[in-house]
Amino acid sequence: MTSRWMTLLLMTRLLAAAVAVLLLLVHRVTAYDLGLIIATIAYSAGSLGILTAVPRLQLSPAAWLVDCAAVLALVVATEDWRSPFYILMLTALVLPSTGQPFRRAIAWGLAFALAYLGVALYTGLEENTLESAIRLETIATHLMVPLVVVLALAYATDVLERLRDERLRSERLAVESERQRIAWELHDSAKQRVHAAHLVLSALQGQVDGDQAQLVGHALSELRAAGADMDTSVAELRTPLEGRSVERLLDERAAELAPVSEAKISVCGTVGELPAHIAAHVYRIAGEALTNAVRHGNARHVEVLLVRDRSTATIEVRDDGRGLPPIRRPGANGLRSMRARADTIGATLAIGAGADGRGTSVVLSLSTEPDQGSAKP
Amino acid sequence: MIRILIVDDHPAMRAGLTAVLRAEPGFVPLDAAASVSDLWPTLNRTRPDVVVLDYHLPGDDGLVLCRRIKRQLPAPAVLLYSAYADGSLTIPARLAGIDGLVGKAAPASELYDAIRRLVRGERVLPPISREMLDDAGNRLGPDELPILGMTIDDTPLLEIAATLGIEPTEVAHRIDRMIKRLKVEIPAPRATT
Repeated sequence: MTSRWMTLLLMTRLLAAAVAVLLLLVHRVTAYDLGLIIATIAYSAGSLGILTAVPRLQLSPAAWLVDCAAVLALVVATEDWRSPFYILMLTALVLPSTGQPFRRAIAWGLAFALAYLGVALYTGLEENTLESAIRLETIATHLMVPLVVVLALAYATDVLERLRDERLRSERLAVESERQRIAWELHDSAKQRVHAAHLVLSALQGQVDGDQAQLVGHALSELRAAGADMDTSVAELRTPLEGRSVERLLDERAAELAPVSEAKISVCGTVGELPAHIAAHVYRIAGEALTNAVRHGNARHVEVLLVRDRSTATIEVRDDGRGLPPIRRPGANGLRSMRARADTIGATLAIGAGADGRGTSVVLSLSTEPDQGSAKP
Repeated sequence: MIRILIVDDHPAMRAGLTAVLRAEPGFVPLDAAASVSDLWPTLNRTRPDVVVLDYHLPGDDGLVLCRRIKRQLPAPAVLLYSAYADGSLTIPARLAGIDGLVGKAAPASELYDAIRRLVRGERVLPPISREMLDDAGNRLGPDELPILGMTIDDTPLLEIAATLGIEPTEVAHRIDRMIKRLKVEIPAPRATT
């Protein structure tokens, strides 16, 4: 969203700077017009360059304030409130209008209009100005335009944000009902067929012998495994976490593991709210890491740290055990399934030695920015 | 000769069961019923010895259906043949008067054996564990626990009614309510518009 408004700023500011330069070239405004042209180019190029290079500043009120102050200074420098920099000045409102909640954006617009009124008074709103109807209308228009700009942009931002929220919500609902449908079909149709095949085949078991009996036995165990796989998938599809938080489930998992292990397990922090299917994968990755640390790591302490900041959620599972084995244990597909899950939700998974070279550290981090498409469908 | 009526809504399961039962000497599978409405005419016409009943059926579930089948005189033996093999049906099945409980993942020999034992008048039910009882106790009201206890001890309905000093119909009604509270909910897919 921000980058779209940054594009608007880029285009309007370049255009407004060109207009200002043109006006300065055509009309003699001050005794130092050449200096002003250089200042205009420096200001426009400089501000756009910095904002593009450091995207963080696009959402920083301090940066907006500096920008507004700089452009008002240009207006003051022309010694007239009907300045060639007026349109350039309006472009300083793009980011404050779109980067904050509606009411705060309006307050910002009002403050800006007042500041402009101050500039107008300072640069000579002569005593008789208010007596002249035309001048009165001009200053009123000049004061109104920033407010209208802020109102329009803030309103558009608000509407776009609502639309995006609504779309995300309906997408989530659609995904949810699709999951329910798949779970249903898996249980109601595919699994019934597997059961039927197993039953029919099992009737053969007593009637054949030798190699054939072995083949039937093998097929039966495959069918049983298929049934068990389907049960797991159905359970995961239906109620991923049954509405419980990741940290609570990890706490419960730790309590389950505690009696069978020497290690002291602690779980602290929170990852906050995550979409249900992402939370399910996050829990299963962290749960697997925790189980590995307790079962295979020979650790004395196992710590699970959950951290959520504005744009990322991070979970670290670390222990002081003997670390990762140099050669993979045969049949261990835990790590592989953790990586596959991390890929599915677009998270990064780092598995390595602990900070002091001892033990194992598993760090899962994922972006929680909704429009970065953190989950693959 | 053992006459068996199959009730299952899934065609693959009906066909598989019929074929497997027909292959076993001494077993005669009758017309398989796909739904509750199919069941009654077939049941009245054929008078089977054993009804092999799926748990999940469109409309009523197998437990409710079993209660109704058992009201028939003479009532056939009822074997609940379910995909829910994790024990969650054990207590509700006992309350519903199921005679045998076999998981759909069990081999055919286990099914044959269970049917033969039912015909001999035995029952084939998994044991009830301490945890299952505790869990059921948590979900039932205090006035329902004596009924649960006596049902598990195979106390006849009339005797339960006499012990508690209430009408037999009231006992039956309460048992229906308890089954409803304890049974496994199968989430159906939400209607999408």
